[in-house]
Formats: sequence, structure tokens, C-alpha cells
Amino acid sequence: MSTAPRPNRLGPETMSRHNLKTVISFEFFRTVKKKRFWVATLAIPAALAIVFSLIVISNESTSSTAKAQKNARLSFAFTDGSGLVTDTLATLYGGTKATDRARALADVKAGIVDAYFVFPADPTTQPVRVYGVDKGIFENGTYDAVARQILVTAAQQKIGSPQLTALTQGKVTIDSTTYKNGQVSGGLNAVIPPMLFLVIFYVSIVLLGNQMLTSTLEEKENRVTEMILTTLNPTTLIVGKIISLFMAGLMQMLVFVLPVVIGYVFFRSNLNLPDLDLAHLTFEPAPLVVGALLLLGGYTLFTGTLVAIGAIMPTAREAGVFFGSLMALIFVPFYVVSLVVSDPHALIVQIFTYFPFSAPVTAMLRNAFGSLSPIESAIVIGELFLLGVVALRLAVHLFRYGSIEYSRKLSITKSFGRRSASR
Amino acid sequence: MREPLVHIKNFRMDFGDQVVIRDLSFDVQVGETFGFLGSNGSGKTTTLRALLGIYQATAGTLHIDGKVFEPRDGARLGYLPEERGLYKKESVLDVMVYFGRLKGLTRQKAVTWSLAYLDRVSLADKATTRVDKLSGGQQQKIQLGVTVMNDPELLILDEPTQGFDPVNRRLLMDIIEDQKRAGATVIMVTHQMEEVERLCDRVLLLKDGTAEAYGTVEDVQDRYGGTTIRLHHSGPLPASDLYDIRVAEHNYAELSPRAGTDETDILRELVQRGVSVRSFATARTSLEEIFIRVYGAQTEPSGA
Repeated sequence: MSTAPRPNRLGPETMSRHNLKTVISFEFFRTVKKKRFWVATLAIPAALAIVFSLIVISNESTSSTAKAQKNARLSFAFTDGSGLVTDTLATLYGGTKATDRARALADVKAGIVDAYFVFPADPTTQPVRVYGVDKGIFENGTYDAVARQILVTAAQQKIGSPQLTALTQGKVTIDSTTYKNGQVSGGLNAVIPPMLFLVIFYVSIVLLGNQMLTSTLEEKENRVTEMILTTLNPTTLIVGKIISLFMAGLMQMLVFVLPVVIGYVFFRSNLNLPDLDLAHLTFEPAPLVVGALLLLGGYTLFTGTLVAIGAIMPTAREAGVFFGSLMALIFVPFYVVSLVVSDPHALIVQIFTYFPFSAPVTAMLRNAFGSLSPIESAIVIGELFLLGVVALRLAVHLFRYGSIEYSRKLSITKSFGRRSASR
Repeated sequence: MREPLVHIKNFRMDFGDQVVIRDLSFDVQVGETFGFLGSNGSGKTTTLRALLGIYQATAGTLHIDGKVFEPRDGARLGYLPEERGLYKKESVLDVMVYFGRLKGLTRQKAVTWSLAYLDRVSLADKATTRVDKLSGGQQQKIQLGVTVMNDPELLILDEPTQGFDPVNRRLLMDIIEDQKRAGATVIMVTHQMEEVERLCDRVLLLKDGTAEAYGTVEDVQDRYGGTTIRLHHSGPLPASDLYDIRVAEHNYAELSPRAGTDETDILRELVQRGVSVRSFATARTSLEEIFIRVYGAQTEPSGA
């Protein structure tokens, strides 16, 4: 072997950037190369694909069955107390008016006719009675469909106007325009874009939180801490890990979103998806900026805290206890979500808005619904970034002095109690 | 005179109430190989960790190249810690390249060097194998490779031969000697005294948190053991004021000359008193003997 290649001695700043890139690249690729990552990532789109397929198949089947049942021709007798069903209409569906109720019922029992419908005087308050030959659970639905369709057609004939009929069925399109500070507000279309930051926050924390927790534990469990601490600034390592996990989270989200986009673009009608016109989404700059800052601040705080927990715990198992509690805190605001939307000034909402670990979710919800004032936004964003930086610095400190305690839990007070020598 | 590469002065290290290092001072000069010796628990690893900033010293000055060590100086350092470990779920090559990159090598250089090293240590076929699939000895070789791949100016090895069989120990020593030849300064913690005698220019024996002995190997041998006379003889071996009998069994004896006594006087005395001398050789006391003499029955189980 030749003499080792003498590395380029880079300057401190260049070396720091070089190392950050190296850590991000190493951590990102080792995360996305793991089978476990792809199993977790693909499980959700696979489940969505299965659900979508079932919906399509089910919708097509239901639709054709309903259509067939609606148009099915039966031989039936009927009596009508409402006066709505004319003989002509009934004949169209294969019906004949019965004069003797007992006889009609006997004919059904004998299988001479398929069914006997008794339309009451007031079908809106009284049930239509159907007596039919049993054709199995699914086929028996035909009686119900035909009886219902006869009444609907009878009512439409009575109204005598397709427009009026449509109106009675509530088939109307309403285009609302609302104003905020004298400007047209976006309504629901303005809520969706900032709400996406909340989705990103949830997905990244819920799916990657455990990896954040164990990311520095790995150095400890693999006994590489000393080699790392003498090669790399711990801040660079931790920041690199956090960035790489965020990138992995974004990749996961892309994978999740892809089937939804495909379903929306190509199979919207088959899936009965709401007719949401994305072109009408309103992108208001202020909520988007606030949403992005809340996301970054919240992500920094949570990752810093998770890494700090990982740094003081000797094993992933012991660290997991704290992970559960932290995760619970990001779901808590959803217990009062209706209050967050309807009464954002309620005491409990205010507490959740400013308590650090519930603040990101609560503030992002309020920001999306337009109830987070600029002052509140500034306070929460400032709080999250400040505490996030504190948590990160704490995480770095604890990693530096905690990870060398390979198999022991670090005492935080001891770690701060170590007096620096006059070196 | 050139500044020492490593300068430790009045170093003290306490863990709570326990004083691990009381007052330790020593220098390591550029280009020398320095043996840092002591019994288990004497504080060798603690000293190295404090020197590298992993521990914060309670008091004292610990400098490398005139300043406190920072991780950003890691590209100039090769450190093989006592606690060994690598990223176990990654491939051998990925781990080596990662550390090579962190030490400032380009990816291409790191790959080229790693493959050449794996070939040298007979692990060429393991480049894509996960680290945890390797044996302990194979992992040790990978870790040594990671330690020296940046051609460090300062190489700190904490019990480098731990877990190696004799063949691989020789291979490891060859690699360390390569680094010495390339100009590296080496600090070595080991319990293999023959390695110290073979490689080290100077040594320090750490005892009770201070330097029990410090100097060249010969200085320490002179101070603690001086010369040993190895004697093969027949007939009884008489006691004398000129020497102490340290070993006497089956017509073989080891004698320690008393202060101011010349070896030739001892030989003359033996002959005059009728001892039939078959061979008479002088040798310095081995470091292993000195180690046993200094540390006696100290048997702390773990290194601090």
C-alpha cells in the first residue's frame, strides 16, 4: 500500500461546510437505503391504492346495480293512497293497480306477481309498504329502488318542471365572495395552502420522530462517539442529521402525495372525489410565510428536544418512553380543534397557542383559519425559534458529554457541573 | 528548541469525589513515538480524552500544537479509542469513505485508499459487507484503517493490539511503523511491553494520578531495573554484597548489581568463590519486569 493520501487541509469554515454536506449525504442515503424506511413509506400509498381500487370497483358495481334496479321491470300490483301514482306511470314499471289488497298479497305469496306496493296517503311521513317474493338479500333491493323511483317520477310529473325539480333537490351552485379588510378573501381556498405546512409538520414529526430520537443514540450504541467527537463538531453532526431527516421526510411526503395526485387527475369521477378546483386556491403571502416559519420553528424545537432526549439515554428503548409523551403533545390541540376554529380567544386555545410543544399545531391551525394575529404570530414564531435553538444547543451539549457515557444515563446536572479547565 | 506537539502541564481530573489524575505533566515531541503506560484504571484513557476535548479537565493545560484541540483539527489527527466501534449497519466501504470524507479526503481518494487498505489487510472481498457481519478482529482492522487513512500528523492509539492475534498484531505494528516513517508523532497506550520496547522512543508510567517514571526507555530501565546479569552456572550460588539474587532456579540465576558495582567485579567474585560459570550475560531489565515491579498487585479491572 502506498503512503496514505495527505488530505487537502481545508480552512475551518470550508471544512465545516464540507463536513456538514458529508454528514447530510451520509445520513440521507443511509436512511433511504434502509428497507424499513421504504416499508413505512410505501405502506401508506399502497394502502391508499388498495382503498382507491376498492372504492372504484365498489362505486362501479353499486352504480350499475342501482341503475339496473332502478330500471328493472317487475310484475307488481299496487294500491295508492296518495293519488300521485298514475296507472300510466305504474304500467311503465310493470305495475297494475290492485283492487283487492288481500288478493294482491296472496298473489305475491303464490309467486304470481313479484311484488305488491302499498303507497300511503302521505309518503313523506308514512312508509311505503312493499311485499315481495324473496329473491335474495341483494336482489330484494330492487323492490325498494323501483318503489322509490316511481314516487320520484310521480313527484317530478306533478311539479312539471325539470328546473323546479332540480331546485327541490338542492342541485344549485353557489359562488360566494367575502371581504376581509376591504379585499376579497379566499375563503376555504385560502385555508388549504397554509394548512399544508401543518400536514408537512405532522408527517415529518410522526414518521421521523423516532429516527430523530435514535439518530444520536446510534453513535452511542455503535461506540463511534469518540471518533466523531474528535473529527467533527457535534453541532455539525446534529444539524446535518436534522437536515437529512427533513429531506427524507419530504421524500416520504412526495411518495404519499403521488397516488393522491394520480387519483385526483385521472380517476376523480371513479373515486367520487370532491370537485376541488385547484386553480381557485388562494395563496396569500402572509399566512404562507407565517406557516413556513411556524413549521421551521416547530420542527427545530421538536427535533432539538428529541435529539437531546436521545443524547442522555443509553438505549433506544429507554428513550422511547419520552418519545410517546412528546408525540401526545402534538395531538392534544386536535381535541379542541372546534374551539380553535370557532373561538380562538378561549383560554384553553390561548394556552395551547403559547405552550411550546402544542404551539406549532395550534398556531398553524389558527394561521390557516386566519385567527392568528400578526402579534401572536410574531410571539409564537419567536418563542419556537428561541426554544428551538436552546433545545439544539442543549442537544449538542448533552451529545458531547452524554454520548461518551456509553451505557449509562447522563445526569444533566452533572453534565453542566463539569468545570472547564483553564486551558 | 522546537515546541512539543503535545504539551500537558499540571493536569488534574476529578470525577465527583474521585481524583483520577492528581497532577500530570509531560510533553511529546514532534516525530517521536511515546508510550503511555499504566495499570488498568490508572487514568490513561481519561488523559487522552481530556487532551482531545472529550472530557473537560478539572485543571491544567492540555495543548496539541500549542492550542486546545478542536474537532476541526481532526483532519490532522488519527485516534483509535479504547472503546471501539463503527456504524454497524453500513457497508465497510461506506463507513471508511464517510470517515475519510470527514477528515478532508475527496470521495475518490477515500475510495481508492480504502480499497488498497482492505487489500493489504486481506479484507478486499469485504468492501460491500455490512460491518456487523465481520468478526471482531476484522472490525478492528477496519477501525485502524479509518484511523490512519488521513495520514495523520498525530496518531493516538489506545490499546491498539487489543483483540488481535499475533499475526495481525504484527500487521498492525507494520502499519504503525509506516505512519512513523511518514513522519507521524505517535502516542500509544498498551500493555504489550515488547511493543513499547520495539517502537517507543520515550515512555511515561502513570501511577496514582501522577507520572511515576518519564523519559527514554533506557532512562526508565536504568532507573527501575538497571542491568540484569543472566547467569548459567553449576554449584551453589553464594550471597554477596555486590549483587542481589532475583531469580535462582535449576542452575540459572538473575542478579541485580548493587549501586556502584561493576559487572566484572561480580564475575570475579563468583569465580573466586568457586562458582562454575557456564555463561554470563548482562541485559537491561525489561519493561515488563519494571511494570510488574511498579504496579505490583494493582488489579483494577477497568480502564478509566
